[in-house]
Amino acid sequence: MQRRQSSKTPKQPLQVHHKNQTDLSAWRKGGRIDLENSVQNDQSPNDQKNDSKQDSLEQALSYFEKVQDRVSLKKNDVLQKHLNTVESIALQRGLPPEGFDVLLNVALSGKLADTVNTRLLKSLVPASVIPENSVISSVSWLCVSKCSSNIQLLFLRWLITVFDFIDHKEQLHALYGFFFSFLQDEKMCPYVCHLLYLLTRKESVKPFRIRRLLDLQAKMGMQSHLQALLSLYKLFCPELVTITLPGKMKTYFKNSEGPWKAAINTVRRRNQENSPVSRLLFLGTAQPQSRKRKWNTQLIIPASSTNQNNLEEDREKNHVDLYSMNESFPVEQLQTFSQLLQNIHHLEFPSQMGSVLTNPLLLHYMNCIKDESIYLRLYYWMGQTLQEECTWCVADSQYEEEFKDFLETVYKTECFLQEGFSSCEEFLYRSLPLWDGFCCRSQILRLVSWIPLSSFSEMKSHLYDPLAQLFFTSSLYFKCSVLESLKELLQNWLNWHVIHLDSESDSQVYSSNTTLSGLVNVVAELIHFVGWISTAALRLENNPTFLLYFILDFYETVCDMYLRYNLPLLIMPPAGVFYPALLSMDSVSLNQLCYIMYRYRTNLVAAKQNELSKKKILQFKFSSQTYQEYNQYIIAMVGCLWTSSAFQKDIHPQGLRMDDELLKKTTVQEFKTSFNIVYHPAMMGYAVLFLQQAWPDDTTFNFSLIKGKKWNWYLEYLYAQGLKGLKVFIESSINRVSQASHSKAGNVQV
Amino acid sequence: MAVLRPFDKLPALNSAVLLLVGSDEGLQQKLAEAMLREKKNFKINIWLMRAGQCYLITSQLLRLWPQFTNTAGQLGCLCFSDSLKNVEASLAHVDASFFLGKVCFLVTGVGRVNYCSVEMNAIWKLGEVYCSPVLFCELELEGIRVATAQRLLRMLQICAGHVPGVSALSFGSLMRNFADD
Repeated sequence: MQRRQSSKTPKQPLQVHHKNQTDLSAWRKGGRIDLENSVQNDQSPNDQKNDSKQDSLEQALSYFEKVQDRVSLKKNDVLQKHLNTVESIALQRGLPPEGFDVLLNVALSGKLADTVNTRLLKSLVPASVIPENSVISSVSWLCVSKCSSNIQLLFLRWLITVFDFIDHKEQLHALYGFFFSFLQDEKMCPYVCHLLYLLTRKESVKPFRIRRLLDLQAKMGMQSHLQALLSLYKLFCPELVTITLPGKMKTYFKNSEGPWKAAINTVRRRNQENSPVSRLLFLGTAQPQSRKRKWNTQLIIPASSTNQNNLEEDREKNHVDLYSMNESFPVEQLQTFSQLLQNIHHLEFPSQMGSVLTNPLLLHYMNCIKDESIYLRLYYWMGQTLQEECTWCVADSQYEEEFKDFLETVYKTECFLQEGFSSCEEFLYRSLPLWDGFCCRSQILRLVSWIPLSSFSEMKSHLYDPLAQLFFTSSLYFKCSVLESLKELLQNWLNWHVIHLDSESDSQVYSSNTTLSGLVNVVAELIHFVGWISTAALRLENNPTFLLYFILDFYETVCDMYLRYNLPLLIMPPAGVFYPALLSMDSVSLNQLCYIMYRYRTNLVAAKQNELSKKKILQFKFSSQTYQEYNQYIIAMVGCLWTSSAFQKDIHPQGLRMDDELLKKTTVQEFKTSFNIVYHPAMMGYAVLFLQQAWPDDTTFNFSLIKGKKWNWYLEYLYAQGLKGLKVFIESSINRVSQASHSKAGNVQV
Repeated sequence: MAVLRPFDKLPALNSAVLLLVGSDEGLQQKLAEAMLREKKNFKINIWLMRAGQCYLITSQLLRLWPQFTNTAGQLGCLCFSDSLKNVEASLAHVDASFFLGKVCFLVTGVGRVNYCSVEMNAIWKLGEVYCSPVLFCELELEGIRVATAQRLLRMLQICAGHVPGVSALSFGSLMRNFADD
């Protein structure tokens, strides 16, 4: 281990660096941040209140700044005192931005013993942000190898953990090649890969780097961290990376957060509670924080996300310079939509991708530029956050409320962008099988509705199976919520299909598993799944109207897929749904069923006409089975409601057909008419009211009076009561030979 | 070794018996209390068994059986919430064909097993071998305990035959996956 005295001044490593690194000019151009300025900016009154602490920290910092010789910790009380001060303040309140430069310099310069360096590095907990230039100078220390490899590793892990706290990253990006050269070191390789994964942009992907990575992979075997980086490269430049990589990985990187994460969280929580002014650091574009929560702090854009010089200039001038093309507009100043439009050509995303979630303007921007890397950054951040903080995975209810808020925000963003996030999908797939069905229930179920289309086998084992188990053992209300979110899932898929149908020229649209036939299959599987759980649920819960409403609501979308969403697919509800609805005690369900059957008819007729006219060669034809099923149902329905012949004419294998002999044994009189629109249990209430109005003097409730002309009046009465579904059904599906005759009604089959 | 056999006892209507087998008596007790607090339209008897003395399960059960045939009668559901090893050992003492569709495994502390895929696979496999559902719950937390109690009651009601047209067996096959049928 090197323990030599170093006489370097802090500026020197930059020059050494300059020799090794060709691309430092970019770093120099960026301009340095005024350190003093940032000191003033970042001082919170909380610090001032606590003067003694502040003083001792300042003393400690100035001590570490000046320390020259290698000092032994055991023998030197002064060093011990200052080290303790730094540690205790760091863990309690976090370190101010100006502290990082000093401490990183001393820790990485190898002046002190490794135990001291480790303790210093471990106490580098940011109170607000970390200035980029302190990171840059410490990276240059790495280059001169003054510190041991353990310290180098610890520094990299620290850098990965606090990556989001670095105020801006332009200069750090310029050091990409430098980090890349560290890949050779076998011990550092995983961490360097992780860091590069965070830093990589499209322009960083170069053929020689790909070659190097492939060489490394050949040498070291398939390592998940190398694969992660390669797959990222492949995503940016598919034409350069031609090897095939395994699809989804569970985790690319080992948990490298080390000792800092917990401290960072406590410090952030504490600082937010104690000093409302520290909020000034976060020029949030979201509403002021009424509830101070960990999630929300991540979602707020720190003021320092873009070049600080710009920020100050803009503040002085107090206007926006339209023509400064080379300078980016600070996102935290973005307040209005017109500002977005004016500056859309030079906007830069904040370093903290999470902050995008709460900023509608940035979401608009994201939607508009369609930059793959932006989504990647967001997914990466979100995937990490969801994995780390999932409440039932860590079995800790303390943060449940915060987690709920976070999930809510993610859901709203998905709605806003009209797009499911793959990081969310992975999270759901991973956690649904372990879910208790209670924790964050409504949030999880809402997120389910944004699961992107994927292959059936994946959806079955990750979504359908766990959902079915929860569904069957849970309450009626849970069942209804599941049905509701599956309906939204279906609608989202269908909307996606319609939107992408319009832009079919886009080559990316129908990739691998999202061909039209693939889509049709996946949608069909979803509908079959819902049919299956609905049938079972109706039986388990004994046909409650409430449940039936949600089931039929789902089928209201299904029955219109061909005409409304242009999808060549129609699936009839199973008999286990159709018959409970037809024989329901409630007019709402019956009316809903009538409407659905009318829409099925309209869709099927349109499909048949298309098929017959052969305007275009149809890729998909509805199977004759669909028509057959429809006809069976319509016969049963017309037989029930209109011609009073359901028991004779129903030809569905699970239908109502019964022998007259058997029916006579029931000793029910007039069994034939017992389900027509007068006697049907769901309609009888209307019939009674109608009788009371038509024959106010008659108290015998003679339903047989409703016939002939009165039958028509009765129909008009029903329509006037709001049974619109029944109206469209009767008008479309029942061919009334003459207005006067009610017995001669037939049905139209398609 | 005494083994519980089918048709040893006949079911009674409107009552159900639940056997909770596990080693954490505190949690068992709490879960049972939560179940008793729930509103329900049938009588319920909950028997808590310690899995540590798993060899006692059947003999104890048989000894107790006459007592609760009079009052309750129907064994609805058997739940295991315990370490995998204990559960497996306990399962050796029950006639699996009798309990088919009536066994359910409660897994607690998912957070701790989350990163240990071997253990999870073993649990899935256990559920598959015994054709029984696996429920995940954190019984330490009040809300989840209540939700779990409700789910168990619902299953108990079905398994005890209180839902017309649905037997424990058909429910069991329902709980097993959708594309199998």
